[in-house]
Amino acid sequence: MQYLLDYLAAAILGSALLLIMINANDTAAENQSVYNGEALVQEMLVQTASLLEGELRNMGVGVPETDKSILWADTTYIRFLYDVDRDGTVDTVSYFVGTTAEMLGTPNELDRPLYRRIDSGAPLMVGSVTGFALRYLTKLGALIPTPVSSAQLGEIHAVEVTMEIQNPYAMMRTDGTVAAGERTALYSSSLWQQTRLASQNMRR
Amino acid sequence: MSNHTLLTIGAFLILSTILLGFYQLLAATGDQLTDSQDLILATTISESYIELAQGLAFDQLTDTSNVAIGNPSALTTIDLLGRDGTGETSIPTFSDFDDFNRFTVEQIATGTNKRFTTTFRVYYVNPNDLSSVSTTQTFVKRLDLKTWRSYPPSASGASVDTVRISSVLGYFHFD
Repeated sequence: MQYLLDYLAAAILGSALLLIMINANDTAAENQSVYNGEALVQEMLVQTASLLEGELRNMGVGVPETDKSILWADTTYIRFLYDVDRDGTVDTVSYFVGTTAEMLGTPNELDRPLYRRIDSGAPLMVGSVTGFALRYLTKLGALIPTPVSSAQLGEIHAVEVTMEIQNPYAMMRTDGTVAAGERTALYSSSLWQQTRLASQNMRR
Repeated sequence: MSNHTLLTIGAFLILSTILLGFYQLLAATGDQLTDSQDLILATTISESYIELAQGLAFDQLTDTSNVAIGNPSALTTIDLLGRDGTGETSIPTFSDFDDFNRFTVEQIATGTNKRFTTTFRVYYVNPNDLSSVSTTQTFVKRLDLKTWRSYPPSASGASVDTVRISSVLGYFHFD
């Protein structure tokens, strides 16, 4: 009888152990995916932000003082002048976002391409974003309505860039784990917000 | 209590300890990633302030005159570094670099409920050694910023990382 009880107890405890290990393994795998996604997204964000902040800093370089350096300023579109390759010829640089329809190949339904175009060349995709917003401020910090009118382009003192990047490929969740109003996958997200001076624009 | 039972209890204690360590490790990794996101935001906020400060005049005096050229003692004295008048209440109203001295500001990161507090100190520094604070006026000022997430507060006992950045501005002219 004692042996029987021992076997029964061992079976119960063994099953409990097995369940605990399976659960821990699942948790580890899920967290690993999420953390990898977080790290990937932060890396993507830094790469895109580095390019953008470098270009915004150079806005107006090589532009004659009689000319404006910002040609068009809207919430998701900016076109400005600077000598990109330092060859003495001023180039027109544009940054703008595409539509979500252009990235239907990714599971994330919110991501869209961020494009950079030089002069009239073909737009080059420099990153994918889920949020991209530009705000324009005067010297006194007042917000300029967008799209900025031609008369106010010279008043732009600072450009505030807010950018959100989410993982294009995320860990899909089973139907049972998705509550009402939630998305079907866990998308890692990272936010970047910076104010850049357009001081060379102010001097025009 | 049989030996088997004792062995089983011991095994479970060991397993529980291992599992506890395992979940603590997972939680710590998650916290680190959250912190790194906060640090990205804190860095961008700090850089924004530096960008704004770099666009200001070197000194209240140099904003409107050139009498300080070749004469650093004409610049704002160390004890008066800071906001120059009652009108300078916020960063957009600042006119020169040292207006940031002893200023504290809190900003909400757009799209989040996180708040970041930044404190500023401005010093004159030795032009030959930018890490050395000068006790007299020089043609180089250094802005030291500290930015940290002030809301939501950290969990009890946990520390919040602070971003510390310094930026220098020199006064120069072309002959």
